[in-house]
Amino acid sequence: MIHIIRVKNVMGKDLIGEGVLNDIYQMGIKNITKVETAKVYRLEGVSEREAKVLAETVFCEGIYQEYTLNSPIIKGANQIIEIAYRPGVMNPEVGSILKTAEDLGIKLIAADSSHEYGFYGKVTHQEIEDIARKLHLLNEMVEHFVKEKQKTLLIKDIPAKTNIIRLRRINDEQLLELSKDKLFLNLEEMKVIQNYFQKIKRDPTDLELETLAQTWSEHCAHKTFKARLLVDGKNKAPLFERIKKEALKHNKNIVSAFVDNAGVMDFYEGWAINGKAETHNAPSAIEPYGGAMTGSGGVFRDVVATGQGAKSLVSTDIFCLAPYDLDKSKLPAGTLPPDYMLKRVVAAVRDYGNRVGIPTNNGSFHFHEDFRAKPIVLVGSYGILPKSKAKKGYPKIGDVGVVIGGRTGRDGIHGATFSSAEMSEKTMEVNSQAVQIGNAIEEKRVFDAILEARDKDLIRAVQDLGAGGFSSAIGEMGVKTGATVHLEKAPLKYQGLAPWEIFLSESQERMLIILSKDNLKEFLKICQKYNVQASEIAEFDGSKRLQVFYGKEKVGDLEMSFLFEGLPQRVMRAISPRHSERSEESLTNVSISNPSASLRAGKLRDSSLIARNDKMVWAKVLEKVLANGNINSKEPILRMYDHNVQGTNALHPFAGVGMDGPNDAAVIKPLLDKPYGMVVSHGLNPEFSMMDPYWGSVWSATEAISNYVAVGGNYKDASLVNNYIWPFPDKEWLWSLDRSVDAVCDFMKTLKIPVISGKDSLSATYRGSSGVVIHSPPTLCMSVFGKIPDVKKTVSSDFKKAGSTIVLVGKQDLESSIPRVDLKVLPKVLDKVHKAIVSGKVLACHDVSEGGLITTIFEMCVGGNCGVRLHLEGVSLDFARDKKAHLRGGFLLNETAGCFVMEVENETTAKKLFEGVPYKILGKTTQDEKLVVDGLFTVDMDRLQQAWQAPMKEIFP
Amino acid sequence: MKTLRLRSGREVNVCILQSDGTNCDNELFYAFKKFGGSPQFVHVNELRNKSKTLKDFHILALPGGFSYGDDVASGKIWAIELVSFLREEIENFRKRGGLIIGICNGFQVLIRTGLLPFGNLGKMDATLAANSSGHFECRWVRIKSNKSNCVFLKENNQVGWFSVNHGEGKFFSSPGIIKKIEDENLVTFRYVDEQGNPTQKYPENPNGSLNAIAGVTDPSGRVLGLMPHPEKFVDVTQYPNWRREKIIKPHGAFIFEDMIKFAKEGK
Repeated sequence: MIHIIRVKNVMGKDLIGEGVLNDIYQMGIKNITKVETAKVYRLEGVSEREAKVLAETVFCEGIYQEYTLNSPIIKGANQIIEIAYRPGVMNPEVGSILKTAEDLGIKLIAADSSHEYGFYGKVTHQEIEDIARKLHLLNEMVEHFVKEKQKTLLIKDIPAKTNIIRLRRINDEQLLELSKDKLFLNLEEMKVIQNYFQKIKRDPTDLELETLAQTWSEHCAHKTFKARLLVDGKNKAPLFERIKKEALKHNKNIVSAFVDNAGVMDFYEGWAINGKAETHNAPSAIEPYGGAMTGSGGVFRDVVATGQGAKSLVSTDIFCLAPYDLDKSKLPAGTLPPDYMLKRVVAAVRDYGNRVGIPTNNGSFHFHEDFRAKPIVLVGSYGILPKSKAKKGYPKIGDVGVVIGGRTGRDGIHGATFSSAEMSEKTMEVNSQAVQIGNAIEEKRVFDAILEARDKDLIRAVQDLGAGGFSSAIGEMGVKTGATVHLEKAPLKYQGLAPWEIFLSESQERMLIILSKDNLKEFLKICQKYNVQASEIAEFDGSKRLQVFYGKEKVGDLEMSFLFEGLPQRVMRAISPRHSERSEESLTNVSISNPSASLRAGKLRDSSLIARNDKMVWAKVLEKVLANGNINSKEPILRMYDHNVQGTNALHPFAGVGMDGPNDAAVIKPLLDKPYGMVVSHGLNPEFSMMDPYWGSVWSATEAISNYVAVGGNYKDASLVNNYIWPFPDKEWLWSLDRSVDAVCDFMKTLKIPVISGKDSLSATYRGSSGVVIHSPPTLCMSVFGKIPDVKKTVSSDFKKAGSTIVLVGKQDLESSIPRVDLKVLPKVLDKVHKAIVSGKVLACHDVSEGGLITTIFEMCVGGNCGVRLHLEGVSLDFARDKKAHLRGGFLLNETAGCFVMEVENETTAKKLFEGVPYKILGKTTQDEKLVVDGLFTVDMDRLQQAWQAPMKEIFP
Repeated sequence: MKTLRLRSGREVNVCILQSDGTNCDNELFYAFKKFGGSPQFVHVNELRNKSKTLKDFHILALPGGFSYGDDVASGKIWAIELVSFLREEIENFRKRGGLIIGICNGFQVLIRTGLLPFGNLGKMDATLAANSSGHFECRWVRIKSNKSNCVFLKENNQVGWFSVNHGEGKFFSSPGIIKKIEDENLVTFRYVDEQGNPTQKYPENPNGSLNAIAGVTDPSGRVLGLMPHPEKFVDVTQYPNWRREKIIKPHGAFIFEDMIKFAKEGK
């Protein structure tokens, strides 16, 4: 029997209910007068008396709540709906309910929790369900309306069997049919597999075939990055090889690169720092909350699973979405509205990052219509570990593999293969299993246990159970030794999983720990202390085979050499666009058609208005620029992210009089009792890299390092993490990807610093059945992390006082449609800026980015609660006479990366600090809170600040 | 009542208690250490299985975090665990004169065990409900210390900047209970505006707490709970505006100094 407890607040406001009612009004529905909400708990296996005890001690706080047992609590409503996670989708709350019942001496068999909404007013049940769907009160990928009375909460099922797949005698067409929507391998690869099994004279099991598909998936094997390239007919080395080759030339600080779950560089006093960023686009496109959560969880695990274990210190979140005000009719079938996506990814970071206790102190948002089908959800994490434990570990023969943390369920099956595929409107239906909800606390206790075991020298190696699950983790770890796996030992969420499902499952919050048998007992004791479930599942046995058992049945037996070396290297052709040099004119047209970008420098549709030099017009243009999605203040979002947990921030995301001036990078003190700092920043510009993959990528990388240097980082002690998010790499997209990699290699060469980690995601393409094809803008995101000896030698962006001198340092490009960074000048500028900051003579510094020079200065005024007066002698702003001026966006709106606005005492100081690199005195800071450009305009800061802050305040009140 | 006395020069042992989801333990450890304490991490399971005991400690500190995910209500599951398994241990610790501090999630736990505000272990008299803004808040706010019967806090009417990081921090109870809390001088900290006056205005009062209550003590004055995080401002560089304001002493420092000094004097 299931007892149902319903709880509602009786004092104060029903905040959720009011929010829903408000959203309903905004839909134009006026006949609903009130929405009331309640929490529902279902308890199985307890007596009525015990249910009452639980209600009164656990679920209901009598001070402001009341409850009912097995009867409705929302009484006056016309319609009531209940929304719960679907059976089989992990509800993170259930574990805590079971625990607390046990603590109270009550034995629960199962439990669940859900939400009820009561609607007052004349409305039918069907109408309410439609409204709930439209408002996305639920995501039917993971949630459902509870309708029937359940008899049990337990999921019972008979374990499915292992099947033999008749592969040896089928034709090409049948091979492709087998691969479609499931294995995502091409014909050549399918044939290699067919040949292998013909050779060993048997057919594969489903587990073997799935294991091969996962290991050979684009996501895991990076086939494009490892392919031999023919670019316009000319041979070129694989992309990955080129990046690696250039990177390893700059190895001064490298501790570990390209081999482990994250790249590691040297820090101070025997410590090292590590970093990684990765996307979670495919699941996020269909369930942004679960997708972004598991994205965070995955990258945190990558950082922790480096060497013999690291502590994660920083989380970064970068989201590329369609504009939040996009006309819904433009949404292709099977995709979600962007405002919903925005709210849900933010909620995911809040609910996951905050709980795990890793500060989210760096990130950004980018909006472009072409992200409407496949958005980018890119999460990064950075950590610290002893240098002596920073090298990737490998098992020795006789070592055991222990799975710790979450249980294995059906969730995330096919995640690796699915994320390698293009998206279509069918994606939502076919691949629902790839989506899951994260359990942050499970992850936190796993991390706690790993760090203690590391410090007790118990760990040989740590491997994250991410894409591909056991198959990927055990396979990769055992590639040299071989491994025997016992799947029946994996703790399961519920019965009924086939062996291949257990092996491939991507259930979150699990880690594989490899250790010597001698350490097993002590390790299990640590797990017990932290309430971490642990189970010995594999042995690394020297067989050089991957042998998988389910009880006594052998369900898989593959040679490691075939699994990891059998995949043929691809030869891929890249062709430059037919009109090899796209004219500036056509580029301009392309982007002007995009409303979100029309006001960005270089593409000023309204620039003809500015040409009149009309003060009022300038004010309006500035307001529009500052309100743009890529530029406006994200403070309301940052205030919901815990960016201050761990107490390590030495430079917060926002500072200044009202703590509302944005800073360029995170500076943290990984060791609280030491002065050393870690600096973390990033840069990307999907629009620029779409227009020109080379210069757009150079811009992105330069923006990243400029953010890093603007706060006081020394670029010579920095490492790079590169992430490529590209449309499906057919010939032309491969050409542009190749250009982006060229840009990254040139960038490394210029600054003599290495890329030490990164990832590619080459499936940013949507194909609808009606022939609609949407390519997301190809995007290089460059992340930077590095070390500084003293966090006190850093600066924030807020102007510190009136009467200081404002200087622009760096070389602007006023000619090209995408501002090109002069790579010859860049290192000198970065060096000067860094030295100036370390000298202590810089009061404030902020780099020039999207929105251009004037936006940079505006943001510095926000933090300083002050204004500026600029004199721009010798700068052409005469749009009327200079026909090209509007193309260039003018001096004030110019977005050349690698330029810095600095506040110093006076002109003499400026000269001393910056002689030898391009710099220009712009004017002075003023008490009066106005932006004044002599001869051009005077605008009140108040007005601009309102325009800059309003959009996100509206979405996140 | 036999109190726990320290001979001069002896260490002040601080138990930094952990559970699943504790995440402000490192900075709390650092804060106690910086001001002369001897902190030690203790997992609640180690108290439950008796491999460690509160007898060895002078101060019990419950850090911030999301104990057990803050499932059902913040701090709820941990509070039930403490009351179910460690009631005697905690009561004995109090009888010996031990001091208790709970910060953020730790405060939520102390409230839900009933230790705050009236020292009724196992009976809740007030709650920390969802913020009036309806969401998590991570920001710096002004806090004023209030003359209370907390035995170790010495500073009064001082205004300082503190970090708040929580989703459920609205101090709430019936008017009668609130009056009793005020009458018994149990309020230790309040959210204040620029002029230093208690405020109900958002975001200066970040959660809508009644009477702008940010922290309370119990009638014995030996238990302190507060939503803001003093441990996140014990070094100058932890504050967002250290570059533009002259910080002579980090604003969170006095709580740890006062607590350790009091424990050392062994009153």
